[in-house]
Amino acid sequence: MSEMVERYPTVAPPRALDYPEAIMPHPMRDESELTAGVRIVPGRDYGFFTDTSLCIGCKACEVACKEWNALPADNIGLTGESYDNTAALSATTWRHVAFVEQISTAADERATTMQPYQSNWLMMSDICKHCENAACLEACPTGALFYTEFGTVVVQQDICNGCGYCVPACPFGVIMTSKIDGKAHKCTLCYDRLKGGLEPACAKACPTDSIQFGELRELQERAQRRLTTLHARGVPNAALYGAPGTPGTTGGIGPLHAFFLLLDRPERYGLPVAPTLPSTRVRLAFLAGLATMTGVVIAAAATFLNGRK
Amino acid sequence: MSEMTERAPYGRRKRRDEDLSANADSPRDSRPYRNETYYGRPSIKPSHWGWLIAGYYFTGGLGGGAQVIATVVDLASPERDRTIVRAGRYISLAALLASPPLLIADLHTPVRFYNMLRIVRPTSPMSIGSWALSVFGLFAGLTAVAQGVEDLTGSTVARRAARWLSVPAAGMGMVMAGYTGALSAATSVPLWAAIPRALPTLFGLASTASALAAITLAAEARNAPEGTQHRLERLSLIIGVGELALHAIISQIWRARDVAGPIETPKLGALHKYGMVGLGAALPVAIHAAQQLTGRRSRTGTIIAAAATLAGVFIERLVIVFGGNESARSATDYLRFTQPRKPRMGQNRIVSDDGETQSGTTNR
Repeated sequence: MSEMVERYPTVAPPRALDYPEAIMPHPMRDESELTAGVRIVPGRDYGFFTDTSLCIGCKACEVACKEWNALPADNIGLTGESYDNTAALSATTWRHVAFVEQISTAADERATTMQPYQSNWLMMSDICKHCENAACLEACPTGALFYTEFGTVVVQQDICNGCGYCVPACPFGVIMTSKIDGKAHKCTLCYDRLKGGLEPACAKACPTDSIQFGELRELQERAQRRLTTLHARGVPNAALYGAPGTPGTTGGIGPLHAFFLLLDRPERYGLPVAPTLPSTRVRLAFLAGLATMTGVVIAAAATFLNGRK
Repeated sequence: MSEMTERAPYGRRKRRDEDLSANADSPRDSRPYRNETYYGRPSIKPSHWGWLIAGYYFTGGLGGGAQVIATVVDLASPERDRTIVRAGRYISLAALLASPPLLIADLHTPVRFYNMLRIVRPTSPMSIGSWALSVFGLFAGLTAVAQGVEDLTGSTVARRAARWLSVPAAGMGMVMAGYTGALSAATSVPLWAAIPRALPTLFGLASTASALAAITLAAEARNAPEGTQHRLERLSLIIGVGELALHAIISQIWRARDVAGPIETPKLGALHKYGMVGLGAALPVAIHAAQQLTGRRSRTGTIIAAAATLAGVFIERLVIVFGGNESARSATDYLRFTQPRKPRMGQNRIVSDDGETQSGTTNR
């Protein structure tokens, strides 16, 4: 309860009183201060804490993302996989709400004897992780991908030539090339909105605050507190994914700037437990190739220096 | 874009190796992984690579390998094996001319191909490879031109120029022959990522083998001296034996890491067994060994071995490219591949919640 008070002060923040107009005459300055309680300052790291224990699967984040980023509709149809008809992140889907119905397959356990309500549902809004060390960026040969001043990872559309090397590099299967325009696309963490002092669209649209936007360090502390609360309330399965020292940060990837609180093992959400940064294999692979060719040169020299006429 | 930023736009962030056991507040499910997935949907995305990239792996490797062989022979035995030097340089040029169109055609936005040379990025084999191909193309092209001038005019100046130009070309050729292995291994695809050492080694040997096969065919067409053919065959045999050994090692690693699935499917499995290993290595090695041991070389045998090598190496590229894509499409392969591995010998210490160091293996 104290947490709620902390997140939602009962008294409106003083700045809210600066705008009594019904129709805004101009854009609000530092709007995120009012909507997310954080001022967006270049040079600091920002991110998302997606608390899946609060997610109700409304997909408002998906819609808000598509709306703001003017992304085309895709995959219109039914997958047969619970309420998830989005299926996966793609070049035109930057938020994806996953649904897992935890229905026991044990013969002696009936639905009526299982825990009621949302306890049997896993819902999780997946997104680009904006890795501390981003595999897509390290793979990009054109420099189209870059680390922004907000600690996020963005594709510059005017530089990307659609080589597609970032696609198999990503350890989370996020970035994808589009057949529509021939470039790689993924979540930008609303780079344009951050520039204008606005909270990213998905977080602003989230009705339950499952998606929380803020300064990364503050979010990580908040996540730890939430985890402690949940454990105390009897949710032992709750665990963080992508916060420092938790799964998803392995193999040189480092803390994920969009991280999660999960209620089941990461694999159930399709997330790898101990992924690795592909670039950690580059030096090893190059040395192996060059050593091989050095061996070839020696063998060839030996063969052609000797031998019969 | 004028704001001051904490890090340079392309700057590398600080590497922090995260220790999973360090976070006491995040208890992990300690049950072993039992192939749980999200509706069997893959957790990573496959590359879009197909025939074009397999073709480039083949031509790039062939061009690089041919330049290396031609240069070594030019320095080691320039007179008696002149056929090899000439053939090697021209084959290298031909393969080189075929490579960039394949790569550019594979881009989703081909008109922006020049952006490949916009930056140098050491963490990206694609970036290193683009530069290597460019420098290689420059020197290998000039070498071939000098060789052409020599062939037409008999100029000794051209001959010396070709030799000087071929050394940097061969240096880049060494990169060209094997870097595509690094390109594949530096991804999240289990089939490729499982063999970061063996894959570039295999590609290097396969590139050399295909170059030797192409040179052998050219030498056969030009009726090269018997000694030249003998030495070519001996080197092919050495490389082939190496390839066979490597195939065994790679299959072993794939099985050990539990990512061999795509290679065991009927189609790719057959291509792997009969094409990549059989046609590409086993058959040529058998023919070369028989001819070297008996000391009698048949023209037919040589041509069959060379053709089999070329076909086998191309099939190998196809198997690796398409196998990798299948590997990425398998949800369980990747999620199994990314399970925490048991600490290696001497590293089996875990820090418990209260900071006390215990010995033993982590139960994950």
